[in-house]
Amino acid sequence: MQKKPVTGPDERALRAEVDKPAYRLACAEARWRVAAVQWPHVFAAVTATDGCEFGLRFDCSGYPALPPTGRLWDLATGTALPFDRWPRSKGGRVAAVFRTDWKGGTALYLPCDRVSREGHDNWAHETPTMIWRPERGLAQYLEIVHELLNCADYQPPLRAAA
Amino acid sequence: MKTIDIYFQGEGIPALDHLEVAETATFADVKALIAKTHPHAAECHFFIEDHDEPLDHRTPVTEKAGKAGVKIHLARCHKAHVTVHYKAETIRHDFGPGTTIARIKQWAAVTKFHITEEDASNHHLQIAGTETQPDPGVHVGTLVSCPGCAIAFDLVPTPRVNGASGAR
Repeated sequence: MQKKPVTGPDERALRAEVDKPAYRLACAEARWRVAAVQWPHVFAAVTATDGCEFGLRFDCSGYPALPPTGRLWDLATGTALPFDRWPRSKGGRVAAVFRTDWKGGTALYLPCDRVSREGHDNWAHETPTMIWRPERGLAQYLEIVHELLNCADYQPPLRAAA
Repeated sequence: MKTIDIYFQGEGIPALDHLEVAETATFADVKALIAKTHPHAAECHFFIEDHDEPLDHRTPVTEKAGKAGVKIHLARCHKAHVTVHYKAETIRHDFGPGTTIARIKQWAAVTKFHITEEDASNHHLQIAGTETQPDPGVHVGTLVSCPGCAIAFDLVPTPRVNGASGAR
């Protein structure tokens, strides 16, 4: 199949980013990986502490000046991840981010998410380390999700992947 | 020929870098390769990640290779002088420069401040006087400057993302 030509600076920047050694190492250590780029979407997977892998679909339009927006995604079927397969929480930090009641589940509730940050000026001083930093790139978002899925508040989904 | 991935960071190399070497290579070979793009590497000691003692450059790379390859740190100094503050307490220790933030946090939170593993997972190391929380895999040697090679952290609770009023 003929490869679709790279069309814009945002796509070029993203593709250069995911070629960096940090992405190769994260994949080799099974922490997180970028599975595919179908511009403007980037498909990635992040491994939780119990070995469960959660797919994500990012919209990276305007990258890196604009933050990406990400949602949980079933990489096998190419559809949104059903809510009963979302990571659960003991009532702490994980539940605050993986919110099924936020935007219909179309964006993670994170300060580095393009959609979620709108209207949240409070995040700039409450969670400054999670504000999008273009120089850190998509790895920042993936590291935050990985940290959440490996903290003590994480609980496995109600239903495992088929 | 089979190759081994070498991931390196260190003094003057803040972002993780990578090269591949033949499985017959020694760390002297690795040093020569890195020095082509980072000339100061010729003056540096090599440290395996989370090990305090420098490598003997005659060591074959295969002896230190794990599933992902080998992760090393380059530095002229053997130690990073680390201070961690938590509430009213302060602790200090000298670590090898290739020590990860994850290992220092574990040492400080669990071993020294006796926080449970569960609570420790809800704390981060933040560089004192800043809002910077280095990622767990960052080597402390990339955060210090020679010749002082010292850094102070605050052990802080990881903030929970809170909503804004009316946000939905």
